[in-house]
Amino acid sequence: MIGASKLLALLRPQGRNCLLCGQTFQVGGGRRAPIPIRNPAARKVLDEGFCAGCISRIPWIVTIACPICGRPERCGDCLRRRERPFVKCRGAVRYDDAMKEWLALYKYRGLERLEAAFAAMLAAAVEPLLGETRFDVVTSVPIAPLRLADRGFDQAERVARGMAVLYRLPYRPMLRRIRHTGKQSFKGRKDRIEDMKGTFAALSPPLALGHVSEALFSPTDPVRIMLVDDIYTTGATMTECSRALLAAYPNAEVYGALWARS
Amino acid sequence: MRAIVYVRLDESGKGEACLSVDWEAQCLTGRRVVCRLKEPLPLGIAEECCQLFNGRQDRGAPGGPDRALSGAAEAAWTAAGAKGRAFDVAGERGGLSDEGRRERTINAAERERAMGDAGGGRLADKAEARAANTEEMEPWLAAAEQAAACLRGRSLLREEAAALLEEMLPPPYGAEPLRVLELAAGLGAVRLAAAIAPRAADAGPRRQGLRCRRCGSGEERMRRTRCASCGRSGCAVCEACATLGRSRECELLALGAEQPGAALAALSPALTDRWGLSAAQRSAAEEALRFLRGEAGARRAGAWGGAGLRGPLRPLVAALRGLHARLRSAELAAPERSFLLWAVTGAGKTEMIFPLVAAVLEAGGRVLIATPRRDVVLELAPRLRKAFPEAALAVLYGGSEDRWANAELTLATTHQLLRFQGAFDLVLLDELDAFPYHNDPVLHYAAAKARSANGATVLLSATPPAGLRREVRSGRTPCARVPVRYHRHPLPVPARLRVPAMAGLLARAELPRALVRELAASVSRGAQVFVFVPYIKHVVPLVRLLKKRAASLGLEKVQIEGTYSSDPERTVKVQQFRQVSLRLLVTTTILERGVTIPRSDVFILGAHQAMFDEASLVQMAGRAGRSADDPFGRVRFCSPYLTRAQRSAVGQIRAMNRLAGKRGYLRRKGERA
Repeated sequence: MIGASKLLALLRPQGRNCLLCGQTFQVGGGRRAPIPIRNPAARKVLDEGFCAGCISRIPWIVTIACPICGRPERCGDCLRRRERPFVKCRGAVRYDDAMKEWLALYKYRGLERLEAAFAAMLAAAVEPLLGETRFDVVTSVPIAPLRLADRGFDQAERVARGMAVLYRLPYRPMLRRIRHTGKQSFKGRKDRIEDMKGTFAALSPPLALGHVSEALFSPTDPVRIMLVDDIYTTGATMTECSRALLAAYPNAEVYGALWARS
Repeated sequence: MRAIVYVRLDESGKGEACLSVDWEAQCLTGRRVVCRLKEPLPLGIAEECCQLFNGRQDRGAPGGPDRALSGAAEAAWTAAGAKGRAFDVAGERGGLSDEGRRERTINAAERERAMGDAGGGRLADKAEARAANTEEMEPWLAAAEQAAACLRGRSLLREEAAALLEEMLPPPYGAEPLRVLELAAGLGAVRLAAAIAPRAADAGPRRQGLRCRRCGSGEERMRRTRCASCGRSGCAVCEACATLGRSRECELLALGAEQPGAALAALSPALTDRWGLSAAQRSAAEEALRFLRGEAGARRAGAWGGAGLRGPLRPLVAALRGLHARLRSAELAAPERSFLLWAVTGAGKTEMIFPLVAAVLEAGGRVLIATPRRDVVLELAPRLRKAFPEAALAVLYGGSEDRWANAELTLATTHQLLRFQGAFDLVLLDELDAFPYHNDPVLHYAAAKARSANGATVLLSATPPAGLRREVRSGRTPCARVPVRYHRHPLPVPARLRVPAMAGLLARAELPRALVRELAASVSRGAQVFVFVPYIKHVVPLVRLLKKRAASLGLEKVQIEGTYSSDPERTVKVQQFRQVSLRLLVTTTILERGVTIPRSDVFILGAHQAMFDEASLVQMAGRAGRSADDPFGRVRFCSPYLTRAQRSAVGQIRAMNRLAGKRGYLRRKGERA
């Protein structure tokens, strides 16, 4: 019986419905925009989740102009910044209108079926980082407890967990908000930076991270933390979170992986 | 969110389990609480727990209500898939029969602990102190009553209810939606429930799964996710109605009381001449009015003919009826007490509904007009405002401003119906076979839910779906047909044109001579030419091809354009087509409805494709000959072979023309308007 249904499925390929537009499409059929991701599981999620039309709307960041924040254009923010507690950040997609719409669908409308796809998209930011170094732990920027109760889920955490599974990295919650801030989307750059100060703290007690290196030439290998968030706009959140992490883990290096870079 | 389950005494002295979303407010009411669960439960489970407790016959049985309550909570968790949980109950031990100790006697320490997690420990103590002093409660109760009035006929998620209350209530009360809702629920004026009905909700022999209270979807449209607001790992969330806010198992749904409606039977039977209807429109409107007054309802009841049966056949008939009802509900037939107004394209449906609306409004009833598309809403609103200047009109669509207005006359896009429950005496559903309704059980459910218990539904369509037509034929749904257009000329009957399949033509970049000749004929008679194609991908190549042959069609190249759903210049092109600066417009089914171009001819290429069903063919054919100046447009089905859809579309159009002739609605030769 199982064999028969498998055979039937082989003979008559089932169409899938696009997670976003609901249109039926054939997996592997037709020409599709390329996906700049190597991980086969992530590719599969995107190939089976989105129709050709929707996947072509993803503005992948393929070439970066700012080596620090991973912005595809020349970046003034990183030049202006005096101290930078994180090492570098990479974004997966540009935050254009289409991505704005997608994120709103997931975050505010609560379309949680997009979760796996978002995690897979994040892979485009993670792979360049993984190409450079190894990571000890993945963590995410937490949302305010009040908003968490309202929304029911922490989007950055969910996406980070999904991505961590794809790359077999351990995910650990490491941060908490100690102060409630208003919505970031209504503020300018300066306000954001001011507003974010002292918002985060590392969870205590700190995790036992890293390992005793057996390599001869790197006796003090730093702990590398991958910090995940959904959007990077001015880097204020990233800076604050990295600062909080460094305070608790003095020998750590923080790298940012962002779903979108605006 | 989570809610506290408690047991209080109802009038007869029996224990009744209730849930509270704001324990502090519940304490303020000073109702006598027998016992409560210490731990707040996820709302869906809390509700199930209440139902399990209240469903038990032996509420006062050994072990007392607290044992029964913790048992119910355990059972509710087990039903939700989490086994082996134990629950602490705070409150008096002992039976309900113990009259003297009914009072709440939770000792102070325990109360402190129990109420700390509900966030209201301190205030609850205060409430105790204030128990005698009800004066402070007064304004809150008044606010709760006001809230209940605002929520009448609505079914709103917590977020939506909060938005409504914030707008409608004065500041200190509007900012505390949960408290106001809790108090209103205490008054019995609002029902607080989980947005997704728990399993125990139907106590029938065959328990169903979860069901979304807002859109009626079953468990197959839901997704289970980890939820931080209730702490469960498998909190169900409905994806069918996600576009209007998240309906989840632990989300609060505030259900207002039903709107006090009008007795439809008391409608005035006379139809005034105020609306300037044609004979055909008038007779249909009169029939609909008779239906609203309940005169045509008898036909439906008699459909099964079981009334006169006696003896052994009776249960059989009853069973058959039940089965039949279930089957009918499965195939999305018309809701009970509904009437179909089947009017051909261009018959003037809008004018026909005015007298119905007027009659119900006059009787003090509330009317809803639901239409699938936003542009129709925007177009209809000023007309309604003009026709009913004295009635309050609420216009609802995504992003409209009178979201919470409480008006007698409501005009809404269909999705907005989800936010109503038992609110309208008359629900008018426009184009029920068109895109969002078509094959969507959610909207049918919503339309049925928005109607009050004694209300009626009038369905409007030019092309009712097969299921509904079957019902009309068998007499189960009363129907009035308007077989003629307002200008009283017959509908143009489509003619067939044998043309090879589109894909091949486009690949070879050729246009058959017959098609070119026909198109040229339409152009030379000065008509605007609609060319419908089945797929978006055909639009652009066909436009290119037609432009190449523009000269032989007698057109300039710039007079030919194409449009489709995602075309950014769609509205501009339609506008140009209307203003005759474009003469030939290639399009897909997006323009099959609602577009009226005075002097137009219709060519349907690839009419054999499955994209074009009967309804769609009739609608497209209905674009021709709509104005009185040019009532005889030409319609051509261009396809390599005839399909059933094409045949029945032609049949339907012919049948309507025949009916119009028989009833004498058609204009005689030489007769003037």
